[in-house]
Amino acid sequence: MSIATGRAAGPSTSQAASRASGILGRVIAHRTDYLYVLPALIVMLVVIAFPIYYTIELSFFRTPPNLQMRDKIWTGLDNYVTVLRSPVFHEVTINTIIWTVASTLVAFLLGLGAALSLHREFVGRGVMRALLLIPYVVSAVAASYVWKWLYHSDFGVIGAIAVQLGLTSEPINFLDNRQTVLASLIVVNIWKEFSFAMVMLMAGLQTVPEQLLRAAQVDGASAWNRFWHVTFPHLRGVSMVTVLLLMVANFNSFIIPFVMTGGGPADASHIWITHIYQLAFGRQQWGVASAYAVILFIVMMTLGYFYVKALTRGDENRAGG
Amino acid sequence: MAEVVLKDVMKNYGSLYAVNNVSFTVEHGEFVALVGPSGCGKTTTLNLVAGLIPMSGGDISIGNRIVNDLDPKDRDIAMVFQNYALYPNKSVFKNLAFPLQMRKLPKAEIEAKVMQAAKILDITHLLERRPRELSGGQQQRVALGRALVRDPAVFLMDEPLSNLDAKLRVAMRSEIKRFHHNLNATVIYVTHDQLEAVTMADKMAVMHGGVLQQYDSPANVFANPVNTFVASFVGSPAMSLIPLDVVGKGTDVALKSPEEGWELPLSAQNARKATASSQGTVVLGARHSTLKLHKSPVAGSVPGKVYTVEPTGDVTFAQVFVSGAVVNVSLEPTAPIAPDEEVFVEFDQQRLHLFDGQTTNALKAA
Amino acid sequence: MATISETAIRPVVRKPIDWWRWAGRFFLTFLLLFTVLPMAWMVLTSVKSQFAAMQYPPQWWPTEPTLNNYFKLLDPRNRIGQEFLRYFWNSFYVSLLTTILGVVVAVPAAYAFSRFRFPGRNFLFFAVLVRNMFPAVVFLMPLFLLMRWMGLVNTHGSLILTYLTFGLPLSIWLLKGFYDNIPIQLEQAARIDGATRFQAFLFIVMPLSTPGIIATSIFSFIGAWNEYVYAYTFLSRDHQMTLPVGIQRFFTEFATDWPGLMAATFMMSVPVVVLFLVLQKYFVRALTEGAVKH
Repeated sequence: MSIATGRAAGPSTSQAASRASGILGRVIAHRTDYLYVLPALIVMLVVIAFPIYYTIELSFFRTPPNLQMRDKIWTGLDNYVTVLRSPVFHEVTINTIIWTVASTLVAFLLGLGAALSLHREFVGRGVMRALLLIPYVVSAVAASYVWKWLYHSDFGVIGAIAVQLGLTSEPINFLDNRQTVLASLIVVNIWKEFSFAMVMLMAGLQTVPEQLLRAAQVDGASAWNRFWHVTFPHLRGVSMVTVLLLMVANFNSFIIPFVMTGGGPADASHIWITHIYQLAFGRQQWGVASAYAVILFIVMMTLGYFYVKALTRGDENRAGG
Repeated sequence: MAEVVLKDVMKNYGSLYAVNNVSFTVEHGEFVALVGPSGCGKTTTLNLVAGLIPMSGGDISIGNRIVNDLDPKDRDIAMVFQNYALYPNKSVFKNLAFPLQMRKLPKAEIEAKVMQAAKILDITHLLERRPRELSGGQQQRVALGRALVRDPAVFLMDEPLSNLDAKLRVAMRSEIKRFHHNLNATVIYVTHDQLEAVTMADKMAVMHGGVLQQYDSPANVFANPVNTFVASFVGSPAMSLIPLDVVGKGTDVALKSPEEGWELPLSAQNARKATASSQGTVVLGARHSTLKLHKSPVAGSVPGKVYTVEPTGDVTFAQVFVSGAVVNVSLEPTAPIAPDEEVFVEFDQQRLHLFDGQTTNALKAA
Repeated sequence: MATISETAIRPVVRKPIDWWRWAGRFFLTFLLLFTVLPMAWMVLTSVKSQFAAMQYPPQWWPTEPTLNNYFKLLDPRNRIGQEFLRYFWNSFYVSLLTTILGVVVAVPAAYAFSRFRFPGRNFLFFAVLVRNMFPAVVFLMPLFLLMRWMGLVNTHGSLILTYLTFGLPLSIWLLKGFYDNIPIQLEQAARIDGATRFQAFLFIVMPLSTPGIIATSIFSFIGAWNEYVYAYTFLSRDHQMTLPVGIQRFFTEFATDWPGLMAATFMMSVPVVVLFLVLQKYFVRALTEGAVKH
């Protein structure tokens, strides 16, 4: 008993042909699948889609300080003009760039150094990793208070040490000085987040094939060359994701400047986020604050594009391997 | 125990037809092997029978009951997976007990059945272990045991031996065959290894590109492949296939090499087949054992050039270039033959195969 | 052969100093001091009296260590103790509920993203991920309005709902990674063994994804515990405050009580640090999952 062969591919039963096709058909066919995602979707829609829409709307209106929405007045792009013309805008933008770039760069480099130093097995390695990670785990509020006390202008331990070592004649006022405040805050931020980079890069280091390093050693590569030609290229993907995540986090940080200085003195430590908060909840300038937020959205979306791209590349790699 | 009937079974993903109009019947107690290269749709077909993926069309019935819309749990089947799919967080005992628990059997009965299955498969001493503490062969037994405890109507097996090493695979092969024999079970067995199919199955269903090519006993598939695909897939080494032109008329027909110009006269029976070809081209097929090598031309032979000689012990295989195609010939181990030698290949007119050059289907005498 | 005879002839060469290793040691020592000294100073300050803390030059080591600051915080008989314990409870309650709800919502979503191929899957998935990109403050105004509209202002519900969405993208992403690694054949086997799709998920997949659930839970909990901005904006009644906001309001009245503040900061950090130390393995895995290909 044998069966005819070589039939052309295609549906030949009426049953198959009658099944719904196209995107609608696929949606219907998968309708139960959506049930699993639905709770998450609802939460995300309510708490994300709505606010985004709302922020955009607010940015085109002047809204009274008490947020009575029926009294809002259409002002077109006025709020955006106000933002871009404001003299504070430039200072805050420069602060934000310094804050983001310096924090990210130093935290990444410290993290890389720590990861490379911790890669070798030694007694106490696990304990050391755990200790270094604690600042990342504790709340930024706690970190802010601790460092505020360390920086205290009269009784701060850092100033006292500086005097003891003869670096200065009297304690430095770290936080109440336009020249030192931003750098002082960046140190706190780095203290808190460098170990994130460390953990990411440690995980990345484990993907560097031991055989390649041995091969390079046999080929006569120095320690530096082994790092540069073998280790570092393997870390490129992780590094990109790490730097992006740090940048996003730093761009969005709020607690450290807000709790430690409130943006002062004289706006010297304001970054975008704290400034937006001050405009909205301090001065009730809802429209201008929203315009700021929309501009921020656009910047973040650009970063987000690269973030998703970096993540999906990892995903595809995983699916393939 | 039950028979399984597939009728016009379809599975498509958009315009991709993974299983296209497949129909066959597995008789009660039969061992059927679904065989084909990877991506041919055999595993998809098995998953359709199991109910793990929804069908796009057609009907499947198990034991006179249409099961198209039934959940896997309601189809009265058991399945053994390629990677065994043992629950890693459960002990062997609990793995075996799980199907019975799901059916809410009383505890004492579960224990009795598990012990019985464990005894049959000789895994009683492993019951308290976790799957990861077992060797590949032991995991395989547990997977079989989990299928066995329930006494299902049909056993489905998805490449159950492909993760084992070569020696163990041969041993387990005979065990599964014995298992089928003792239980008189209906088995559908997916494999990409035609040797497994040929050695174990009562019938084999050869699939290619989602289409069922041939469904028959291994002996018949081997003797009468319906097309060049089946011919080249079943048997090791594969059947040699040489594309040739048909020349001449009536009973005076020969096959001509388009490259080398020689002609091979055909017997009357073969001539009638050759003239039935749609475009005047055929593919000549011959198994290695039906061919003979000569150092000088004889009647019914064509010229060729030796490429490699592979002694395997009791048989030596020679690969010979004939009209641009590679032809496998089996020889006495002592045959004095060397690579690059010019030889003549003699065909056995009674045992050669002719396929249409265009459709690749086996030609029948017109 | 060549190397053997060479070493036999040549005198033993002293192993050169491994500069990289020494550089690594110095670097690690520096980082350790940078990390630990601020925390150590916090603890040292917290066991000083107010008078001892306010000295110049500072007392490097407390001359009269005292646990008074801690007793004060944990004593339910005085106002400070009452408020601190209340804030602590509020933080715990909000974080715990956020964590539980987060798991309940994230598990099915992650499972669907891992297993099903429904239309719009990729779009939804990245919509969820992109949530990570937006700063909390940007959502403050509209969410404040939304919460007012839903009548949730000055309730812990507003915080839980908000924290849920912070945690969800990461939770879903992490859990999806775990589900991707559980072979689908296990579920298929369970379904053939007589389980429904849901039973297969409950009995087979869930137990196997416990590490993932633990990891995401730690993240949700720590994130909620440490959150400041929303708690600061949404809650105005004293008795509702969570710790990060509470200790601020509480101590700005006595801005000079640094030892008390350090003690409170220490107490606030204890739960998350303990949680982290106990479940470090899961935490680190969760942190790096997705960014590092395996």
